[in-house]
Amino acid sequence: MLAALRSRFFLSTSPSSSFIHRSWKLGFSGSSHTFFSSNVESSSSNKGLLDINEVENVLKDVRADDVKVIPVGKHCDWADYMVVATGRSTWHVKNIAQALIYKAKEKQRGAQRMMLPSLEGQEGGKWIVIDSGKVIIHALDEKARAYYNLEDLWTSGMPPKEPVQDLEKAFVKIRPKNNSKRRAERHA
Amino acid sequence: MIQSQTHLNVADNSGARELMCIRIIGTSNRRYAHIGDVIVAVIKEAAPNSPLERSEVIRAVIVRTCKELKRDNGMIIRYDDNAAVVIDQEGNPKGTRIFGAIARELRQLNFTKIVSLAPEVL
Repeated sequence: MLAALRSRFFLSTSPSSSFIHRSWKLGFSGSSHTFFSSNVESSSSNKGLLDINEVENVLKDVRADDVKVIPVGKHCDWADYMVVATGRSTWHVKNIAQALIYKAKEKQRGAQRMMLPSLEGQEGGKWIVIDSGKVIIHALDEKARAYYNLEDLWTSGMPPKEPVQDLEKAFVKIRPKNNSKRRAERHA
Repeated sequence: MIQSQTHLNVADNSGARELMCIRIIGTSNRRYAHIGDVIVAVIKEAAPNSPLERSEVIRAVIVRTCKELKRDNGMIIRYDDNAAVVIDQEGNPKGTRIFGAIARELRQLNFTKIVSLAPEVL
């Protein structure tokens, strides 16, 4: 069951499909991910995965604090939305995760094969990640949220990409400088 | 192909700089670890003023290997270095940021936390 869920992600590994993926997103901003997912995946596999609206509703029901939805389609191609939520205690964090799983079960009640989102960090309860395909939900306690500072990572643009551009500029600048120096020495 | 006594780079900002594998977690008598495997390692070199110290025993997840990684679609990925990310017993990463490219196989192996911190996923 998990393998079936995971095999979907290989679709985006080949360069051509990821290109299609990008162009789709340019066409429809905002609610594009539902169109896209229904197009590529078979309809049965899409049923089990939670929608962004459902996730928001569930988080509201369990009273998760400070819920933030960050569209990360630009940064990484493996997810469309990151949802960050804070729980007041480890119990609360675990309950947030369980509520989302319950919602996923509810959604596909009566189905022959249920597809549940994968859970990570259930034992600790400090940081639980619910991986529901294109929507990834992070439930953290307050300390962990301050420590990892996930919003900063995804909202401020990927830092490693900028230095690469700077490097390219630096090379361009340095080259003519060196040439001129050599010529000057030769002339002298 | 990571075995005990292999030295690995650290791909996060936990403060460790170099690790040495001393055990592969999983089945007994396993010879080599690959991407996504958890190992027990000793910190051989640490950054000054960091919470982690030299000769401390920690757990780490392998994120990059020189040995090539094959995918079902024929893609082969091979990195320049062997690198690992330091985790605690619960599986939370010790560092808050991860450097360098990471394979998407880690997501299937339930290391979504590491993948979501990574700047680039191959």
